[in-house]
Amino acid sequence: MISRKKILPYLLVSPYIIHFFLFVAFPVGFSIVLTFHKWNIISPMEYTGLNNYIRLFNDKTFLRSMGNTLIFLVIHIPLQIIFALLLAEILNQKIKLRGIFRGAFFLPVIVSGVVVTILWQQLFGYDTGLLNRLLIGIGLGKIGWLTDPNIAMSSIAIMATWKNVGLYIVLFLVGLQTVPPQYYEAAELEGASHAQKFFKITLPMINPTIFMVVLLSTIGGFSLFIEPYVMTGGGPLNSTISAVLYIYKQGFFYYHMGYAATLGLFFALIILSVVVIQKKFIEKGN
Amino acid sequence: MTSCGSNNKNSRDAILYWCSNNIDEIKFAKIITDKWNKNNPNDQIKYQPVPEGRSSEEIILAAVVGNTTPDIYSNMWQGDVEAYAQAGVLIALDTLKGFMDFLSERCDSAVIEEIKSLDGHIYQIPWKINPIMLIYNVNFINDLKFQGPPRTYSEFFDASQKFQKDFDGDGYVDRWFGYSEVEVTWWQRFFDFYPLYLAASGGAPLVKNNQAVFNNEYAIEVFTFLRELYEKNYFSMEKLSARQDVFLSGVTATRFTGPWEIAHAEKFKPEGFEYEYTFMPVPDGHQGPVYTYGDPKNIVIFKTCKNPQAAWDYIKTMIDNEGDLKLLELTNQLPRRKNLNSNHFFNDYFTKNPKMKVFADQSEYVKGTDASPVLKEIFDLISQQYEACVVYGKKTPREAISDAADAVNLLFLE
Repeated sequence: MISRKKILPYLLVSPYIIHFFLFVAFPVGFSIVLTFHKWNIISPMEYTGLNNYIRLFNDKTFLRSMGNTLIFLVIHIPLQIIFALLLAEILNQKIKLRGIFRGAFFLPVIVSGVVVTILWQQLFGYDTGLLNRLLIGIGLGKIGWLTDPNIAMSSIAIMATWKNVGLYIVLFLVGLQTVPPQYYEAAELEGASHAQKFFKITLPMINPTIFMVVLLSTIGGFSLFIEPYVMTGGGPLNSTISAVLYIYKQGFFYYHMGYAATLGLFFALIILSVVVIQKKFIEKGN
Repeated sequence: MTSCGSNNKNSRDAILYWCSNNIDEIKFAKIITDKWNKNNPNDQIKYQPVPEGRSSEEIILAAVVGNTTPDIYSNMWQGDVEAYAQAGVLIALDTLKGFMDFLSERCDSAVIEEIKSLDGHIYQIPWKINPIMLIYNVNFINDLKFQGPPRTYSEFFDASQKFQKDFDGDGYVDRWFGYSEVEVTWWQRFFDFYPLYLAASGGAPLVKNNQAVFNNEYAIEVFTFLRELYEKNYFSMEKLSARQDVFLSGVTATRFTGPWEIAHAEKFKPEGFEYEYTFMPVPDGHQGPVYTYGDPKNIVIFKTCKNPQAAWDYIKTMIDNEGDLKLLELTNQLPRRKNLNSNHFFNDYFTKNPKMKVFADQSEYVKGTDASPVLKEIFDLISQQYEACVVYGKKTPREAISDAADAVNLLFLE
């Protein structure tokens, strides 16, 4: 007879195991099966072999959506790091109302993404938006923030940066506070400038935090969805359709479940590869 | 919702009817169901509004997947029926006793042909329509010294050019003749391209026998017309729907919309504001009636229904003369039936509601959607080309229509 002592650990981990199989392993397994089928939810599944994979590599809109996601990442990640680090550095000084500023910068993080998106949609309006009114006020022309295909993704990246910067400020603040103050004191005694202290002490010391921020904003950036979904619907001319938005449209607009699963699997592999490469690259740098 | 449903003693065996969750349609369902249940103690009906969700389409889909469909569902968008029919979850109504006779009495042959599925059966009962027409500000049209609203593309351009204005002299237009959402979302084309295409072509289909048939001069003319409206800034490219009602606030003089706008306008219009509806604009020299999109919502019986014949008998009372009049009175939505504008049974209603009369006249010439299980994709593909050509001018109308047709044909091959 199995002793009580032996069963107990299994009992204790069983909720997680059940949860894992039910909500992680089964959906992932089912998605992989789906990639070989055509299924619109209401009709029986139809086996289609590798058709979904062949379609994926010929799907120009999906390739475009991948390109758009990369454009977003290229704009968003540097912006995010520069602003978050700059603001964290300022908020790490003994300035007046520091607590209020820290809270204020974090506020957009906890506001619903849809609310933020609608707010920025009003700011970005072509004829009536506040930003264009300001531009006209100073004698400049209007910008098609969301209507110009060349600019729309940058506008979304600016908004996403504004929304998430508070989270990364907190991470950088934690990083900055781990730098021993005696390093700065020693540097000051040697006559180091602010810039030298920043580049020679701060940056190397907070490298693990930078890695984490790059990693988190990359994963966050890859899952770009709400912003283009609410603001532009993927337009103009598909210039803001992100990979996740495209997968969502295939799955829940058109009920191409097999194809959506194929896109999802492929995209998950890409994210995994990018994260692994990033990790290797930064570890090598360290 | 405790007030819904009948109090019949056999509620577990009752036929379940899901109506729309719009308050007026719930009232309609109650009246019809109460009357039926009183006269048919052996075939009781239980009605309830479609459960809350992001959209009724999603709820129905979830019900089909979960095998929890009601017996009867009204408010089924015509474009969704083919996919459900092919999935085998709907009753072929033409197999029910008396159905075809009733249908022929109610609708003309064109409508019967339109609702026929690809397998030759009929799975839906034409119920109600909300035709898309041109609403216009009467005062503005009078100010422009026009005899009436613009009817042709030339007249539309002429009025647009005269109406467009930059009030503050900053070089940017502040008042546009019309407005239509530029979003690429597939159903937005029900409010611009599709009704204009039907108007120009005399009600021609977009697809037939799994083949795109819209690569024609009518579609090109419509794209050309709309392109000019955006190019000359007669229609705003900006999303104006987030601000106050642009039509009632005088920012635009017209809009493509349906009869639902009447209740809204009556409630919110400023003092002295006058509006009317007219037919969709057509190409110069257009001959014949002006068709439009009717946004039809139909009634279906799901295969989960144990007594389809009784369900059909109940539906007949929903759509007989009295039922249709009640629908009009309670919801201001038009029944899809022939001779609506000349049937004396409805005369009083249209006398009391003169703004609805123009919709009754239009109801003779409305089209729904073509039978295809991939209709959303078709409209999405057209919408992609619409954006490229009409909104951004990246393609000529001819190229855009041709590319849309090629993409649709490719879709059918998949």
